[in-house]
Amino acid sequence: MSGKLLANAVSERQNLKVTSTVKQVQLRQAEISFDFRQKLNDTLEGFRHNYCYQCGACVADCPAARYAPEYNPRLILLEALLGFEEELIGENSIIWLCTNCYNCFERCPQDVRPVEVIISLKNMSVERGTSPEEIAKISESVLKVGSTTFITPLVDRRRKELGLPSLKEIPVEELKEILED
Amino acid sequence: MKYTPFWGCMISIKYPQFEASIRKTVDKLGIELADVEGFTCCPDPIYYQAKDKMEWLTIAGRNIAVAEEAGHDIVTCCSGCTSTLSEANHILKENTELREKVNQKLKKVGKEFKGTIRVRHIVTAIRDDIGIDKVAETVTKPLKGLRVGIHYGCHLLKPSAIMQVDDPDHPAILADLVRATGAEPVEHKLGLLCCGKACMSDEIPDRMVIDLIESIEAVKADCMGLICPTCFDEFDLGQIVLNRKYQKNFELPVIYYFQLLGLAQGLEPKELGLHFHKIKAGRVTEKVAAA
Ligand code: SF4
Ligand code: SF4
Repeated sequence: MSGKLLANAVSERQNLKVTSTVKQVQLRQAEISFDFRQKLNDTLEGFRHNYCYQCGACVADCPAARYAPEYNPRLILLEALLGFEEELIGENSIIWLCTNCYNCFERCPQDVRPVEVIISLKNMSVERGTSPEEIAKISESVLKVGSTTFITPLVDRRRKELGLPSLKEIPVEELKEILED
Repeated sequence: MKYTPFWGCMISIKYPQFEASIRKTVDKLGIELADVEGFTCCPDPIYYQAKDKMEWLTIAGRNIAVAEEAGHDIVTCCSGCTSTLSEANHILKENTELREKVNQKLKKVGKEFKGTIRVRHIVTAIRDDIGIDKVAETVTKPLKGLRVGIHYGCHLLKPSAIMQVDDPDHPAILADLVRATGAEPVEHKLGLLCCGKACMSDEIPDRMVIDLIESIEAVKADCMGLICPTCFDEFDLGQIVLNRKYQKNFELPVIYYFQLLGLAQGLEPKELGLHFHKIKAGRVTEKVAAA
């Protein structure tokens, strides 16, 4: 089965007029990884990718697809089904263009929840060390101070001016403890 | 009605004016916000969930467990917190295997997720438990003639099977709440478009925000009305950035719902922290004063 599907996936990507030839060369050389499929199956909500029957209902309302012609949630699912590891969780993967809007979750008749599969792929990319810097930056901040943003003297001044109570202590140690193995 | 407020980092740290606007308006609706100790970041549904969904669920489970001890439903004020805590609450209530996994972790700090409370954005709790009519009754200075272009944002409504707030394709909740202040909610063609914040590209979110601002300008609204601090960030600071980057002249005030309600209840713009906004709200406050 995968021979024909693979050919389709390659030509569909090309039809999308991906201008970078480098990308096309990479695509032709893409190796299909079965370990990758197995790993995706074992990642929280990753197994859902198996239910995709390629209807394309997830595409029409996808804002990332509307604004970036090379982005297409159906093709992401197809590449997941084919085991295109490099394409999906290598450096500069297209998955990071997803806006997390959940429109595809609403539309999919198979309850694949494409956005959740994409989040599983993001988890795998983080594990491989190929995710954008912001991910590490913000999650490290959560683990270090318990919040995504830092508290500065300006914050305290503003809160006071607005008549708000001072900020409560964030139990960061407890956070670390529950995440330990 | 007594609730446990979950303020979240964006509001309590970056946009405390939104916290102030809620605290100063909802007591008139008969709402008591009983703060509890011990919350951390929800954690955020974009970056932290992308890092590790299991850790994301564990941290969220801990926050819900903290609120369960106090015994009241959580109300959230940020669509990001709403997304994380509602989805995690749903998963942990439905999936016993995951609940056990999370509870094993929580046990180390003497906590347990029991699944005894609900999580809703405060606007949803107000609509369902208090009623839109009651909101209208607290209005002493109706915002007559103020045209508000609503930006729903994604995570109040979707995924609708879990959130169960409104029809995600034809929502009414925010328009109804805006109408209760005496203002006029105006439809615009991109009212349901995402703000683009989570998309990691240098120019796609820019183009989305430009289209959104232009969509609201096209219907001649006086301001944009919303309920999420992350969307607010994209549009308020966002316009300043876009003006510089693309030589635009955007100056559309962006107002959090409870700031509108506060004005309609007769509070001063300063008490609601409107002066902290990057795009000055003069257009709005002048119209309100004249109403
Ligand atoms: S809507 Fe669902 S089944 Fe159809 S292509 Fe998208 S993910 Fe696959
Ligand atoms: S969540 Fe991502 S893939 Fe799904 S519709 Fe939104 S942008 Fe597209």
